Amino acid sequence: MPKVTINDRTVEVEAGTTLVDAALKVGVQIPHYCYHPRLSVVGQCRMCLVKIEGMPKLQAGCSTTVVKDGMVVRTDVPEVEEAQKGMMEFFLINHPLDCPICDQAGECGLQDYSFKHGVAYSRFRYEDKRTYPGRERIPLGANVILNMNRCIQCTRCVRFTQEIAKTGELGFFNRGARTEIGTFPGKELSNPLATCVVDICPVGALTSTRFRFAERVWYLDKRPSVCTGCEVGCNITMEHRRGDIKRYKPRYNPDVNDYWMCDYGRATFERYKQIPRMQAVRVKASAAGVAGNGNYIAAGWKEALDAVHRQLTMADGPVAFLGSPYLTTEEAWLFSQLADAVGSPHRSVPVDIGPERTIPNLKGGITGREAAPNRRGAELAGLTPGTGGDLDADELILGDGAARCSVLVVCDSDFSATAYAPETVEKLRRAKTLIVFGWADSPLAKVADIALPLAHHAEKDGTFVNVEWRLQKVERAFPAPGQVRPGVDVLAELLSRFDAHWAKVTIPAAFDRMAAALPAMAGLNWESLPATGAPLNVPQARPATSATSAEAANQEAGIG
Amino acid sequence: MPAFEPVLTRNVGKPEALTLKGYRQLGGYEALAKALKMEPDAIIEEVKKSGLRGRGGAGFSAGLKWSFIPKGKDKPKYLVCNADESEPGTFKDRLLMEYDPHQLIEGCAICCYAVHATTCYIYIRGEYTKAAAILERALKEAYEGGILGDSVMGSGFKLNMWVHRGAGAYICGEETGMLESLEGKRGQPRVKPPFPAVVGAFGSPTVINNVETLCNVPHIIERGADWFKAIGTDERNTGPKLYAISGHVERPGTYEYPIGVTFRELLEGCGGMYKGGNLKAFIPGGASAPILPAEHIDIKMDFDTVAKAGSMLGSAAVMVMDDKTCMVGSVARLAKFFNHESCGQCTPCREGTNWMELVLKRLEHGEGSEADKTLLLSVCNHIGGNSLCALGDAAIGPVKSLVERYPDEIDQHVREKRCPFPRRRYFS
Repeated sequence: MPKVTINDRTVEVEAGTTLVDAALKVGVQIPHYCYHPRLSVVGQCRMCLVKIEGMPKLQAGCSTTVVKDGMVVRTDVPEVEEAQKGMMEFFLINHPLDCPICDQAGECGLQDYSFKHGVAYSRFRYEDKRTYPGRERIPLGANVILNMNRCIQCTRCVRFTQEIAKTGELGFFNRGARTEIGTFPGKELSNPLATCVVDICPVGALTSTRFRFAERVWYLDKRPSVCTGCEVGCNITMEHRRGDIKRYKPRYNPDVNDYWMCDYGRATFERYKQIPRMQAVRVKASAAGVAGNGNYIAAGWKEALDAVHRQLTMADGPVAFLGSPYLTTEEAWLFSQLADAVGSPHRSVPVDIGPERTIPNLKGGITGREAAPNRRGAELAGLTPGTGGDLDADELILGDGAARCSVLVVCDSDFSATAYAPETVEKLRRAKTLIVFGWADSPLAKVADIALPLAHHAEKDGTFVNVEWRLQKVERAFPAPGQVRPGVDVLAELLSRFDAHWAKVTIPAAFDRMAAALPAMAGLNWESLPATGAPLNVPQARPATSATSAEAANQEAGIG
Repeated sequence: MPAFEPVLTRNVGKPEALTLKGYRQLGGYEALAKALKMEPDAIIEEVKKSGLRGRGGAGFSAGLKWSFIPKGKDKPKYLVCNADESEPGTFKDRLLMEYDPHQLIEGCAICCYAVHATTCYIYIRGEYTKAAAILERALKEAYEGGILGDSVMGSGFKLNMWVHRGAGAYICGEETGMLESLEGKRGQPRVKPPFPAVVGAFGSPTVINNVETLCNVPHIIERGADWFKAIGTDERNTGPKLYAISGHVERPGTYEYPIGVTFRELLEGCGGMYKGGNLKAFIPGGASAPILPAEHIDIKMDFDTVAKAGSMLGSAAVMVMDDKTCMVGSVARLAKFFNHESCGQCTPCREGTNWMELVLKRLEHGEGSEADKTLLLSVCNHIGGNSLCALGDAAIGPVKSLVERYPDEIDQHVREKRCPFPRRRYFS
């Protein structure tokens, strides 16, 4: 592999690596706008100019690749700094500088590089700025709004639609200083990945309809998480302010979603705001074994869990456990342990088939068909998806299984879209005793004998297993409100009533116990789970290709 | 200098040259016949030896360019003839195409044979409707006459030639911009490297030559490199050259001279200054060449001498200006052209040409300040060498020379708060 020296630091890189990437390896940031690792190199923003020894002119760091030993590059010489200053000036002379009302402010490439490479005054004092009257707020599609005045013509969005989404709705129109971005006549930016153009837009030209004016970005707290829209499990950054989720942004993971995620996934947090929240435990007197029939009794967690324990141990018929593909793997496993403790074979998860979505990545893409982010985790934990067992999900939801149950435990209340259908509620209610865990105060929770509020996926740590059997961690973004507790806490406390060794089991401890018990997870522990997830040792899993080798293969094929 | 017999323009004014039969009677296609009997490499060697430099503007050795084409057979090879003559002041290729189309076809065919290209595109400026029609007719005749097609003049060498009309963008005269346009995409330059000789049209090795360059080729083959080398100033500046003269002269037009003729001779050849005016300045090589003041009147008009004087021969489009010309106004007009024609792809050119035009217009209208000189120079320096293609460098040529060579004129505009020269229409 050839060696390259950048600012006196030498690094060995694969032949064909761009200088921008090579510089990052030695901790040198070459500023750039139009370059993006997954898009074709066009070398047009000219921000990445560097000095290469032996070359008369400055060269673009994005289009210059390291091919053989001995290249000596400098980014800290006056001529490079002068060029960067010049480019920043060019970018800003016609930019509206409307940062105070711009959504991008705080995460804007122009702001960052102005601060680092620009000058603090303007020489563009007498002329009028170029504007695009009437093109300040053009909806390109349902989710993206264009403000042409802020655009720096880097064409990342155009190349994204051509090369990644492969739909090509966007084009580059007119020429010279009047160049603009827009949709082709009769087209709109409506591909499933459309909002990714907002993420890759280095300035505030493209903003997201959903996030527009929702929050100043510096007020956002960010936690790594995983999207629950489908079984792909796109890595995301959950951005919220004081527990109010504002947006999901894709988090780079070359093995899963690369830099992208779909628009549907970005909207999934809306359910946490739209669906009413279960805030407190609710126990009916009949379920607690006290007088008062169908009336709720005053109960805290202790009374509620006592009541659940009482119902499970005193059941005079089959006890069915209906899980959910939205549970974390730890919750699913504890739920399954609970079924073991009760000695019930009836445990399953319902799975919704959703629209098929493919997120492009270096291996060609990852496709999700089921709206079930963790149905594989649940399966590993011992909950059979769909059919299987006797009183399985299909039998309970479609058939008349519930009527045969002495106790039906549902975890969680938001198990699928069908959970909200009146006929499902009616069918499940036929069980003699209905116990519902969950975050959503769904119609089913409202009719339950015992309803227990659990944290949703932004409020707890946990793991999800995606369609390619990759175990991925979500982190708690903010604490759950009121009486609400994470599922693992609740289930462990309930289990401890059967067996004391479950007392005070935390989420990491639950994971470690599960990993020790399941062969698929052998060798994993909570502390050392990689941020990009761990492929599980499952026979059904596709052979895991490492991202780097796939990248190399792409480069050989001329794709990269 | 002995009387110079026209080479490239020898058939101009002979209507029979437009037909295949007439052209052959005038000695046409002899060179192609001769070339087809030669080894392709020998042709490249001969052209290299002749010292023929590209007539499009850059002055790069044509033979050397041909030799960069990889020899392998894995990819088809292309010749693209650059007939997108759109530099302001340049109208030499039009003459060649309108009066002697077969000369160009012959040159293209020889080049294709030499580099093993089986397809040739003549990318012609969209506005050249007449030239395109003439070329189309000539191509049709050449196909029918066995010059082109499956077997060029019975040699078994297969060659197809197409006329591709551009849509009127200056940037499509830039070689990679032209290739993009040829491929049906938006005409904007590509990142180089890879150079067209390796990855050109449709991803294949491509030679791109100017019309005039290719028109020289048949003569080199026919009469030999030594004959060609004998014309011109020195080893590096050889052959006949067309000069397109415009501006304040009595008889503007395209004139053929041996390369290296002095500007004074050029001026005399076209009847001298318009209405006996005084020479103030001239642009020796099209809109992108820096302006030369009148004291350079005896300069030899070849690539190296003009470059040494701080300008460039470019496409040899000579624009002559008399002393009633406002340099600020003229340069502002040129800046307007470059702003209009910048493709908008790269930052320095897109924003810089626009800014320069605004500043120069302000100066011309008497609203400038002395600080604008520094500003213009600084903007020029930020564009120069930093843009993606050569258009940025071209755009700063006239502006820089204005600030460096005519600072007093700028100052006069600032002082008098108006243009001190007689009113002429610099802007339409």
